[in-house]
Amino acid sequence: MKPLKATREQIRQHNRQLLLRAIYTGLADNRAALAAETGLAKPTVSDLIGELIDEGLLIESGRGESTDSGGKRPTLIKFVPNARQVIGVSLDNGRAFAVLSNLAGQIIAQHYDELDNAQGDEAVEILIEVINGLVAQLDAPLLCIGVGVPGVVDVRGGVIADSSPLGWYNYALVERLTAQFSVPVYTGNSAELTALGEYAFGLNSDADSSNLVTVLVTNSVEVGITLDGTAYHQGGDISAFHERERLDHLLGWPAVQQRAAELRAKHPDSMLPERGLTYMHVHYAALNGDAAAIQLCDELSTHLAGIMAWTIGLIRPNHVSLAGPIVNLGEPFLNQIIAKTEAMLWSKVIRPVSFSLAYSGNLSAIGAAALALHRELDIL
Amino acid sequence: MSKLPVLNIFTNFSAAVFQRDVIAGAREVFDNCGYQTAIIEVTTTPTSLADLPIERDLAGALIITSVLPDAVIGELHHQKVPISLVSHQMAHIPGVMPNNRQGIAMLMEHLVVAHGRKRPVFIMGYMTQTDGIQRTAAFEQEVMRYNLNVPPAFYLRGDFSPEVAAESMMQFLSFDPDFDAVVASDYLMAEAAMQVIKASGRRVPEDVAIVAFGDGPEAAQAGITTVAADITELGRRAARQLLGQIEGLRIRGLTLLSTELIKRETTANRAKVSTGK
Repeated sequence: MKPLKATREQIRQHNRQLLLRAIYTGLADNRAALAAETGLAKPTVSDLIGELIDEGLLIESGRGESTDSGGKRPTLIKFVPNARQVIGVSLDNGRAFAVLSNLAGQIIAQHYDELDNAQGDEAVEILIEVINGLVAQLDAPLLCIGVGVPGVVDVRGGVIADSSPLGWYNYALVERLTAQFSVPVYTGNSAELTALGEYAFGLNSDADSSNLVTVLVTNSVEVGITLDGTAYHQGGDISAFHERERLDHLLGWPAVQQRAAELRAKHPDSMLPERGLTYMHVHYAALNGDAAAIQLCDELSTHLAGIMAWTIGLIRPNHVSLAGPIVNLGEPFLNQIIAKTEAMLWSKVIRPVSFSLAYSGNLSAIGAAALALHRELDIL
Repeated sequence: MSKLPVLNIFTNFSAAVFQRDVIAGAREVFDNCGYQTAIIEVTTTPTSLADLPIERDLAGALIITSVLPDAVIGELHHQKVPISLVSHQMAHIPGVMPNNRQGIAMLMEHLVVAHGRKRPVFIMGYMTQTDGIQRTAAFEQEVMRYNLNVPPAFYLRGDFSPEVAAESMMQFLSFDPDFDAVVASDYLMAEAAMQVIKASGRRVPEDVAIVAFGDGPEAAQAGITTVAADITELGRRAARQLLGQIEGLRIRGLTLLSTELIKRETTANRAKVSTGK
């Protein structure tokens, strides 16, 4: 089969993205340098730069230095981060959480609401009303929207293949939201977007995170991967994987609450509260020698170490992060996971890997904004 | 000349710092968008909408904290009047709030991690108001995060009132307690408590570090470390949310305003302070 030829419009769009990316990343700051950097013809560069200036995405800002051979000083061109805004939303952990950011990823406002176990169309309506919360706060035209969804997502088709927490099965989410908001909409798996959020906005700047794996534990268990800074879209929901038991039946929050209740019954003097239990209670109780909490942490760290070991063995990342409310179990819990993971792998495999807890609760929404920016302008 | 559409802002004390700043921000947006703003001072708790001087063709209502009972807000909502709540939460009605959890987490990280304080006292806000409830809950979460021992007697009543906070601190000190920090649910209570602490002979910050939620000229004057949430901006955001609904957007949930740590003398390093320079 002959490869499909790009249309004139696709080429123009690609060239615009090349120029924006070169300016955004500081590779070039004037028309001549852009032509040299991108390999595009000077008239093409001039036309497209004129177009981007007209749209407000770029501005001319004074004159640069002339070259060693003399000649006219070039007109400098700058990216305008506040020219457009982007909305990123995550649908994890029983709530729709949205961020409004500018084109540089700076968060301008946040908005959320509980999903109240809504399913199907009802869940979509909540999502729309949460996005509207930020539409009301726009300071610049809305460029695009990104949405992170737990479950199996067909990124290219914009279809949610299977998201049982939301009751979406082969649901054309992108089509529905595009019709509602009249801007491009992109979607991806929550854990993939959490990993992308960490990578794109330097939230994990101490560690080399170019090949990053994020294990996101909420009501489900998901794995997100960025390889050389690009989201790998074949990770996602691994809740249904099991040896003796499904992973979400071991690590999902309802399962953790149930296990805590069983352990509390076994240890009646436990500090773990009967109502309103959080991971923070478990952390605090474990630090204070509570037998039920210690056993719970031990069991959870064993399950997670199994996931980490398989992931590291297969993907060989240089960084692994744990995300979701489970991070409130703190550094002692992470150290337990690391020790158990080390025991399962050759030392030469695990030695180059660093670990962290992703404390930010809105990484998935930030990642959704990053995905949308990447797909729309290719500037990350 | 046609009459401008009217928006009501419900307050119970428009001169109080928080409410004054919310109103200023909201008015700025409403004025720019061609709305007339009527401030309604709620001095006695209404039992129904009939108790309030509301115009028949009211375009929208911005309600600050819990100045109206939920039943009355529900009545207004039932009449399809667009509503935005400021620092208050009700199902199906959107609102705007400072990020209380983030702010308290920042204060506690600053106290515990940067300054090694382990025995904080917490001065609570008014515990029927959402801000008061959320900040206390956030403090409890951070106590667990850092594995601190904060006995019930270390939770002082403050009611977002400097007088109540000062009185509670005076009583607390009469037991000669062992504490090394104060976290206050607002900065005016922190300032009042600081006066009492200093009068008792304790040094700030050498003996007791003090931090508070919110910021204003009084906090800057007193040198209190705070997390600032721009309350005028909170008012602007609430106004935009209300205008969005008037223009036809169906909105649910809460818009959160981020907080920012402002370090001042009440958490200066002990060594630096002791030089007296």
